[in-house]
Amino acid sequence: MYRLMLTTALAAALPLAVAAQEITVGAANVSSYLDPGRDHSNVGSQFYYNSFDTLIDRDHSKLDPEWVPALATSWELIEPTIMELKLRQGVTFHNGDAMTADDVIFSLNRMMQATFPPYVVRAKDRLANFPMAEKIDETTIRIHANREEPLWETLISLQQVMIIPEAYTKALTGDPEVAEDSDFEAFALAPVGTGPYKVETFQPGEKLVWERFDDFWGETAPLERVNVVQIAETASRITALKTGEADIVTNIAPDQLSLIDNDPAMKTAGSATALFHVMIMNQNHPKLEDPRIRQAMSLAIDRDALNEALWLGKAVVPSTHTMAEMGALHQPDLVTFEYDPERAKTLLAEAGYDGFEIQFDTAPTYYTNGLLAAQAIMEMWANVGIKGKVNVQDQWSGNDPEMMARNWSNPMYFADPFGSFGVMWAPDGPSQSEGRFNTDAEYAEMWDRFRYSTDVEIRKAAYVELMDRVKADPAVLPLYRPFESWGMKNSINWAPMPGHIPYVLDFRAGSITLVGS
Amino acid sequence: MIPYVTRILVKSVVTLFAIATVTFIATRLSGNPIDTFLGDGLTTEGRAELIRYFQLDGSLWQQYLAFLRGALSGEFGLSFVDRRPVTEVVGDRLWASGQLLLASVGLTVALSIPLGILAALYRRSWVGSAVMMLAFTGYAVPSFILSIVMILVFSYWLNWLPVVGNATFAHFIMPTIAMSGVLIAALTRFTRNAMLDVLGQDFIRTARAKGLREARVVLRHGLGNAGVTVISVIGLQVAGLAAAGSVVVESIFSWPGIGQLLVNAALIRDYPVLQFGVITVAVAVVIINAVTDLSYALADPRIRLARS
Amino acid sequence: MAILADPMTRPRRKTGRTDFIQKIAIGLAVLLVALAVFAPVILPFGPLDQSLLSRLRPPLGFERYLSGHFAGTDELGRDVLARALHGLRLTLMLAFAGALIGLVIGGTLGLIAGLRRGWVEDAIMSLVDMQIAIPFTLVALLILSLLGSSLTVLVMVLGIAGWEQYARIVRAEVRRLSALPFIEAAWTAGAGPIYAAWRHVLPNLVSPLVVQFTLALSNIVILESTLSFLGLGVQPPQPSLGSMVGLGRDYMPTAPWIVLTPAVLIVALTFSVQILGDWLRDRADVRLHDR
Repeated sequence: MYRLMLTTALAAALPLAVAAQEITVGAANVSSYLDPGRDHSNVGSQFYYNSFDTLIDRDHSKLDPEWVPALATSWELIEPTIMELKLRQGVTFHNGDAMTADDVIFSLNRMMQATFPPYVVRAKDRLANFPMAEKIDETTIRIHANREEPLWETLISLQQVMIIPEAYTKALTGDPEVAEDSDFEAFALAPVGTGPYKVETFQPGEKLVWERFDDFWGETAPLERVNVVQIAETASRITALKTGEADIVTNIAPDQLSLIDNDPAMKTAGSATALFHVMIMNQNHPKLEDPRIRQAMSLAIDRDALNEALWLGKAVVPSTHTMAEMGALHQPDLVTFEYDPERAKTLLAEAGYDGFEIQFDTAPTYYTNGLLAAQAIMEMWANVGIKGKVNVQDQWSGNDPEMMARNWSNPMYFADPFGSFGVMWAPDGPSQSEGRFNTDAEYAEMWDRFRYSTDVEIRKAAYVELMDRVKADPAVLPLYRPFESWGMKNSINWAPMPGHIPYVLDFRAGSITLVGS
Repeated sequence: MIPYVTRILVKSVVTLFAIATVTFIATRLSGNPIDTFLGDGLTTEGRAELIRYFQLDGSLWQQYLAFLRGALSGEFGLSFVDRRPVTEVVGDRLWASGQLLLASVGLTVALSIPLGILAALYRRSWVGSAVMMLAFTGYAVPSFILSIVMILVFSYWLNWLPVVGNATFAHFIMPTIAMSGVLIAALTRFTRNAMLDVLGQDFIRTARAKGLREARVVLRHGLGNAGVTVISVIGLQVAGLAAAGSVVVESIFSWPGIGQLLVNAALIRDYPVLQFGVITVAVAVVIINAVTDLSYALADPRIRLARS
Repeated sequence: MAILADPMTRPRRKTGRTDFIQKIAIGLAVLLVALAVFAPVILPFGPLDQSLLSRLRPPLGFERYLSGHFAGTDELGRDVLARALHGLRLTLMLAFAGALIGLVIGGTLGLIAGLRRGWVEDAIMSLVDMQIAIPFTLVALLILSLLGSSLTVLVMVLGIAGWEQYARIVRAEVRRLSALPFIEAAWTAGAGPIYAAWRHVLPNLVSPLVVQFTLALSNIVILESTLSFLGLGVQPPQPSLGSMVGLGRDYMPTAPWIVLTPAVLIVALTFSVQILGDWLRDRADVRLHDR
């Protein structure tokens, strides 16, 4: 009997082995919608780069930005606040439409002049400096900025301003001449772009199938078909890899790596991801208003111990909210976050902490090791006298006034401190608008210098001031940059590239090769 | 006969109406459902927008009327997550659940009827005891433990069987067994008892006395008569057990059916999906029950011939 | 989990005889209850005591065994045996509380339905029908998702899981008894319905209810552990047998003891309680009446 099963299992795997240009990815999460504009989740970022293009791209094999032409062939600042871009000709969307200047303007302005609420939110936190894009002629467009912009290329190469087709989107629902909210909702289930793979099948939260797009303007995609299947449990993903159901699996925690590495037919690739797992604390919770309590909550956490225990020392524990990817603005010498249990005890005593319970919310599986870290943190809190309680729930509580502390992540949306700390903790940014973080005029002024100065030194100095504020009245503690790994068959050459934002599954030409094909 | 049928139909309709109402009230108990489901980083104006969008404005009574009106025309609202009509979200998954259900019922019938007969015939020997022991074990092992242990052995240790989805025949093996465990236990015990009841009756003794071969007696007369009750049990008990089992088994094996959908919807509180999913399963169970009741009535002359 | 009422009475065995397997099962049930009660006394570790430096150590008899942790340690270095026994304790407490609530609700409704005929009875019996029609796991999913899974909500859910069985038994018994001459005599002698229920009906209900209570226990254990396994029952860090299995899944290939220890306890518990219920049924020689 077992032979029969064995054969059947092998038979299931066989088609994959024969059709060498088809692979299956076992992903921990598959998005519930696909729209590069409204999405900025760690789940979504896996998928957009294969199907969509930006006007300007970068060489993702390099850590330092090196801009390369994509849907724009050239660009220049004709004034400090106006960039003019020449559009690539002969670009086709997956649905067969030719890309025109109108499509580009539509795509940019759907964000820059957003009316659809999810776009409004995303545009506000990172594209606020850009009031509009305008068409000059069929091959030329201009993007306007309100103020002099230090990060032109960085922001024009964001996932959120990837190009989508105008006529197709508008015609999805209702009036085919008007972009209604329901058009954008419909687009998110039937996305169309210009990238090397078109989305052939999309089952929200379950499955995504990419097919090679033969009319792609650039180098032809190396794979014919990619099936991405959601496999939520780590152990199931590893099994899927071993039974041949999957060729690549995502999100393998360090303590499971040996299962793959010990198998001679498989290997792993990983890196400390450009993203912080953080603990956030509600500045406005009545019981946590005294900053000393929140300082103590931070100082009590031995992040190096978490790293050793949960990540086998492979994660990176930062001294401040900074990453090597940020180039000239990387400030590793700055110390904002420390472990000091004695000081934590003193602060608690000073603040008159009376032993009330502090609830720490976490989703059960969303962040790798998230639940474990939460439970370990409760133990560390207990060591300084804080009574903590883990609350496990899947839904987001960051906008709940009752929220005391929880885990979150601060990804690097683009390679600049503005793309990480600057987005999440901006005046009126997501943290403040959810009511758990306060800013004042002084903070706004520092943030403004950090955001807009065209002098790197001034930006660095302003960032130091911001970090001092964070230290004095903390709302966030970056725990570590998680070490994320992908497991794959030996026949696949793929690894995460340093120039990407976290989690991107880049299967474009040059990024992945299959041995023997 | 006719009043009997009418009674069954009225009962089914009332039950369905009550279930729909209960799920509606339940989903509104904790305030506006949208508030427990706001995504990461939504503003106040976004919230108002979404409340309109999901038609959650208006008083509770208006919402209830709208819900009933929608229900009559087959509209049950949009999923909070993928913003598609829930009828479509659930509909997409019917077939996968149906496949697993059919496979499990098939396996159950194929195994438990012969086992039940064996246990009845050899009830005094070790064979009967062994079968009944097995049935007891089937009851005692919850399907999630059966699934987990099978996965551990056949997938993680031996790497023989796949654990995710329903792509090939091999994918069916473990979920089908996991679903069938309790069903087999229930039906085996039931068949055995029904057989024992029938085999003890006069006409069987008559048949034996006539010198008919034992196999013929058992299969023709015994099973023939016990069969009616056995089938009604498959309808009544199995439908409920399978619905419960599918929730667990589908979510363990990432089976793209309704059970998995319901668990996910419950965990992330996608109420429209949860509400409609529960209604769908309830409708299925009520229909199966009604059909079983009716066919039972048709088979039973005392009811069939009752004066109207 | 639907309630697995035996659709027909089992052909009765000779009463009073306790066979070998039943002896083992009864012994096991006693042992499990004793372990659950004395767990905090016998174990040197608490269920929440972490030791991040000794994570994922295997049980006694394997390489890298850490002395004292007989069933190994889990992903946070907590003692698996301590967690499993505390989980067993919680599971048993939840099951008892749930079965009691079911008994009270179902018993009361069944009594009312049996004594008061007419629309009251009809209403109660259609509630019973509805409860039978809807697979209860789905109802539990709905309630726990809506109200959040605190222990209070969980106990209530477990309580309403099987009330309809009690209601049916009590109602049927009340109706059977009220037709008996001595009860009718009591009625005519002017005894009120409550007095009659107390004096004559309750004593006759004790055995069938005890049997049903025991059978319900194992169903509730299964329901509770299933819900906790799915993440809708007992919430971490508090251990329950089901949630240990659910949360330990990711470590199954490397550290199967985290899952197998609670799994063995669950099966041992349901198995022994079921055989115990069966044994009680045989001893009491009770016929569980259907409607």
